[in-house]
Amino acid sequence: MFDKYEVNGLFDEMFDAPGQPRAHYGPVAARLRALGPGAFQKRVRMADVTFRNQGITFTVYKDAAGVEKIFPFDLVPRIIPANEWAKIEQGLVQRITALNLFCQDVYHEQRILKEKVIPPDLIYGARMFRREMFHVRVPKNIYIQICGTDLIRDKWGNYLVLEDNARTPSGVSYVLENRSVMKRVFPALFSAYKVRAIEDYPYNLLQCLKYVAPPHAGDPTVVVLTPGIFNSAYFEHSFLARQMGVELVQGGDLVVENSFVYMRTTAGLRRVDVIYRRVDDDFIDPLCFRPDSMLGVAGLMNAYRVGNVALVNAVGTGVSDDKAVYPFVPRMIKFYLGQDPVLPNVKTYICAEEDDRKYVLEHLHELVVKSTNESGGYGMLMGHQASQAEREEFAGKIKADPRDFVAQPIVELSQHPSYVDGHFEGRRVDLRPYILYGERVIVMPGGLTRVALRKGSLVVNSSQGGGSKDTWVLEEDTPAVPPSPLFSGESNPAADVIARPDATSPVV
Amino acid sequence: MTDATLQIQPKFPTHPPARPMLSRDADSMYWMSRYVERAEHVARLLLVNSNLLMDVGELAPTLQQRQWQTVLTIFRLDPAPAAAQAGGDGALGARVAQHMVFDPANPNSLLNCVTRARENARAIRENISAEMWECLNTLYWSVSGEDARARFEESPDDFYRHAMGASNLFQGLSDQTLPHDQGWQFTQLGKFLERVDVTCRIIETKFSILRSADNLMAGAMRNIHWMAVLRSCCSIEAYRRQHIGDMDPLTVASFLILERTFPRSIRYGVEMAHEAIAAIRAEVSPLAIDPAERILGRLAAQLEYSEMAEILGEGLPAYLTRLQNLVAEAGFAVQKSYFMH
Repeated sequence: MFDKYEVNGLFDEMFDAPGQPRAHYGPVAARLRALGPGAFQKRVRMADVTFRNQGITFTVYKDAAGVEKIFPFDLVPRIIPANEWAKIEQGLVQRITALNLFCQDVYHEQRILKEKVIPPDLIYGARMFRREMFHVRVPKNIYIQICGTDLIRDKWGNYLVLEDNARTPSGVSYVLENRSVMKRVFPALFSAYKVRAIEDYPYNLLQCLKYVAPPHAGDPTVVVLTPGIFNSAYFEHSFLARQMGVELVQGGDLVVENSFVYMRTTAGLRRVDVIYRRVDDDFIDPLCFRPDSMLGVAGLMNAYRVGNVALVNAVGTGVSDDKAVYPFVPRMIKFYLGQDPVLPNVKTYICAEEDDRKYVLEHLHELVVKSTNESGGYGMLMGHQASQAEREEFAGKIKADPRDFVAQPIVELSQHPSYVDGHFEGRRVDLRPYILYGERVIVMPGGLTRVALRKGSLVVNSSQGGGSKDTWVLEEDTPAVPPSPLFSGESNPAADVIARPDATSPVV
Repeated sequence: MTDATLQIQPKFPTHPPARPMLSRDADSMYWMSRYVERAEHVARLLLVNSNLLMDVGELAPTLQQRQWQTVLTIFRLDPAPAAAQAGGDGALGARVAQHMVFDPANPNSLLNCVTRARENARAIRENISAEMWECLNTLYWSVSGEDARARFEESPDDFYRHAMGASNLFQGLSDQTLPHDQGWQFTQLGKFLERVDVTCRIIETKFSILRSADNLMAGAMRNIHWMAVLRSCCSIEAYRRQHIGDMDPLTVASFLILERTFPRSIRYGVEMAHEAIAAIRAEVSPLAIDPAERILGRLAAQLEYSEMAEILGEGLPAYLTRLQNLVAEAGFAVQKSYFMH
């Protein structure tokens, strides 16, 4: 199945050289070779049926064919050895710490603006900068409690930060569900590795949410606020509420009285102390932000500002994951922590700055241009693939509103084998780890590996035809399992039983 | 340090306070359960009716037409759209079946019942068990998926049986995987109110049709019809064990209305619905009097002490209509007290 596999001159996660898997991928490669296309296809179907029957879906907007879709799952796991992960983890902890200090600073003293590390008009011009949060004290001074930071690897295998998602990052439910499906479909392979567990994420999340409860709440009532079943991430909202054992509420279930928040229950009103809101700032309170919002709760911001309820993430964190602020994060890290960033950024041109803009307009064919106010892969120009007309259209937009755009050189994302029509082909991947900031910072080992399933595509977003993989972070640098002997004899594909040491098998 | 010892809390409280339930969640629990129950009745009625017509052979067209119309009448549907279904050609039975199974414009089609049950379940996934969700979601895909129509054409019987089986499984899972707290009580309430309502409609409709045709039919034919009525209520075996021999219409009616031990009888359903609402009220506001509880409590007591002769005195159709109105009133009262805060 790997016979025609091409490395394409990219960084390949599995192969060092054609036909030569990296040490930590040895057992996987051997297993997949032994399995053959028929048996692999059977497992693909098994996984698909599980996803559909369990309703593990997401909703695509602007899709006439039907709104509910299965997030395509690619069965070949992505594997990260312990030493690689240790560095990623260190970098992520550093980053979320700096981003939080930045939010605290920007909404209070603004030292970083006064000392001209970041131009003030960039911050004031950020659409997600919330004047309403100026001098508002947030519980424990934590703004970003849940962060999803997107990482990619360049041609040499270095991990780079592509962007931070500091508002309401989604996808963690698929990480947990992918893992449970993977264990069901490939039990022997899974147990051949020492994979770090991720199943405690919901527990950690709940602790993290309880940590910011107002002091008056003895045993705080935590809820998850969702826009409703038509939201693209509804499955995840429901999943997290279920896993934490808390209520999933919609705007209409909540009411504010005397600056306290209550939910409407069959027995009348009950106070709510912490809201993990999966509703954007704009929609959270029609009295404060968009008056046409039907998703929020009138008066919620008042209750929040006087400290009677905690909102997670805090309002206004969007200023820190603005695409135009992103290029300054390394300087933020230096400014607040006095450290050099562990995980570097991707080189970014800021169209609002004249030199950069000039460069961008001259090099559109070799850059990715991103709108600073869009996410999910919308509003992007892939310069090398776009037509001349598309490039000209974007040039016009950039000139009209330079603050709205940044550009990056096209990074050749690393590739990973994916199953395509009976064999494996390389497809580009990224990685979104999830970081929780409560009493301490906890990085979930692994995260969501997203795959651009279209051949040659660099866009991994689920809304743009991306899929996902299970991501295994190992407890050791290289697995102790010798790659071939364990699986080479396993020619009967139906016998995917858990390998146990016994008299005839000296391995493991 | 005696103060400190006094403050020691038991590590495992034996009676944690009942968890409050969102009104919207209660609403969805109730309707999810009602729609699952309704879907089961739709499937069963179609199954029984098509089998009955196979048994009795080629009936006079008018009688056959009436037989299919009962299915629509039971679900309070207008017969016109059904007749027009599928371009108006094909056998009447097939057209009614299409209308009752797949027609998106028919609010009580099997597809619509299952879809609404699932939509409700989707909104409260954190309140139900993974097993319940998977059961309902699988049923949904089996009636809405691409191959659903093909499987239906291949064997309508299997299709109906599958839907009924899924409903039974779902109800069993509700009993065995949910704590029997407020949320579960709302599913009980929805299930039994729906069952009582449909059972009333079945008896009412079938009796009026059969009474007008009774003297035209020979004994054997008559038995087959009354058996079909019992089958429509999933009651044939239970009835036979209690009443050996002839199918007497009044005994059938009495069994379906007043039988104490049978979970498909009206009396049993009203009692269970009353128990559910009483348990909900006790948890939510122990001292208050609940309007729905009063209606169902009175009705339960009345059914407990009623005799068939009294019911016939009032007239069966009038009696059944009054019953349906009371059940509807109880349903409205539940919505007002618990869902619309």
